[in-house]
Amino acid sequence: MGSGLSRSEPTPLSALAVRGLEKSFARDRLVLKGVDLDVHPGEMVVILGANGSGKSTLLRAAIRLIEPDAGRVTLAGRDITAAKGRELREVRRRAAMIFQQIHLVRRRTALENVSYGALGRMPARRSLLLRTFPPDVVETAWRSLDRVGLVQKGWQRADTLSGGQAQRVAIARALCQQAEVILADEPVSSLDPRAAEDVLALLRDIAHVDGLAVACVLHQPDLARRYADRIVGFASGQVAFDRDPGAIRESEITHLYLGELDGD
Amino acid sequence: MATEQTVLRPPRPVQRGLRRRLVVLGSLAGAGAIYWHAWNNTGASISALITGYHGMVDILRRSVPPSLHVLRPAMSASIVTLETALLGTTAALLFSLVLTPFAARNIAPSKIVYEVARVFIAITRAVPDLIWALLFVTAVGLGPFAGVLALAVHSIGTLAKLFSETIEDMEMGPVDALRVSGASRLQVYLHGVLPGVAPTFVSLGLYRFDVNVRSSLVLGFVGAGGIGFLIDNSMQLFQYREVFTELACVLAMVLAVERLSTLLRARIV
Repeated sequence: MGSGLSRSEPTPLSALAVRGLEKSFARDRLVLKGVDLDVHPGEMVVILGANGSGKSTLLRAAIRLIEPDAGRVTLAGRDITAAKGRELREVRRRAAMIFQQIHLVRRRTALENVSYGALGRMPARRSLLLRTFPPDVVETAWRSLDRVGLVQKGWQRADTLSGGQAQRVAIARALCQQAEVILADEPVSSLDPRAAEDVLALLRDIAHVDGLAVACVLHQPDLARRYADRIVGFASGQVAFDRDPGAIRESEITHLYLGELDGD
Repeated sequence: MATEQTVLRPPRPVQRGLRRRLVVLGSLAGAGAIYWHAWNNTGASISALITGYHGMVDILRRSVPPSLHVLRPAMSASIVTLETALLGTTAALLFSLVLTPFAARNIAPSKIVYEVARVFIAITRAVPDLIWALLFVTAVGLGPFAGVLALAVHSIGTLAKLFSETIEDMEMGPVDALRVSGASRLQVYLHGVLPGVAPTFVSLGLYRFDVNVRSSLVLGFVGAGGIGFLIDNSMQLFQYREVFTELACVLAMVLAVERLSTLLRARIV
């Protein structure tokens, strides 16, 4: 069941530390078979793997959008796997998730969507006002929009943005959340090549310049090679390799996509 | 393409001929029996319809010309009926907005809370507003306020049911996105769920208002005030010329409300 890597204690340096994570959907279908993974602040890690290899499940289980069966995940040094209620919300604030389908609240402006990132740290009664946010949150939201280059789109409704703009707004929401970890699940799969490059460059920048830890699931090995600081190859619910892009042979990547015929 | 080969077709699945025919005949006979029973049980008869014709003509003859002296009271009573519907619907709207997050399976905090909310909805919905009105007339006395309460209670059930089903059908992506950012249940409901379903809610609320205007008229017959009360009085006294005027007011009111709600729905949705 071991992944071949040493199952050490989470290092204090990892923003995201996954240890021995297991998940099965049916009794016979183990999707995660004891996964270990570390992502450090300032680092962009790309996870590659075929459909059904479990890489999306890994991200979702790490933020407990689905419940893992066994193992441990720490976000910025705090264990999320045992947390409940208010504590769970506290730990979740450390990480932000970016989705392939983007998932903005369509009938709200870009600015409001970015402000939603701050809900987790706002007192409940301040969030009762439906479309008003505290001035400090609004300030953070504008600065986050500026960081992704979309200040001009602040007042525009989310459903009028292009795919690439919407994904950058989602990244601004993660910044406004003041997350330390970004979990991106195929963030560019529904974007055209140009917008895809923009979004990946932005994610890498946020790792390198702003010092966040970025874990990003991708389907495009060439993009992975160009943008990742480290590539994690994922096959059959296990880490197949975990190395610098320069040290990975083409055959190793091809091998990931062999023998995996069932869908996600 | 010199020789056209025919496609080898798989044989059509066999339908058991006789048995199938017997089932169809049996169902038809069963349905016929039910209709026959219903016809007798309700005392329906063609001859009563024909003799009743004279009675109808008689009533129509006695309704003209409409008596104009009741026009003013009829109009102000119509406004009472309208306002009864407005207050009842608005109260129901507010309550069901609070109830809905507990009654939608996909966002309910727990299975037990969900079941309790569903039972509450079922009870308010199952008892017709007319029965609620009779109960409230005993409780708060004759008058439109009993009607307001009756409409409110019954509409909480109907609205909360439709609202929660709307939420159960909605796209969960944006909701999950807020949930994993550490937002609380209330925050997720207010900022992630409501914006998406608001247009549907408005549309359902307006439709409910439309229905309640007509219900509130009927509630007048059991003592809940408004134009229904006037119509009932005039009927009891066989003042059909007054009834004519009062029904004309009702027609005008119902058409106006229908127009208004269609217009609002078109603007919002």
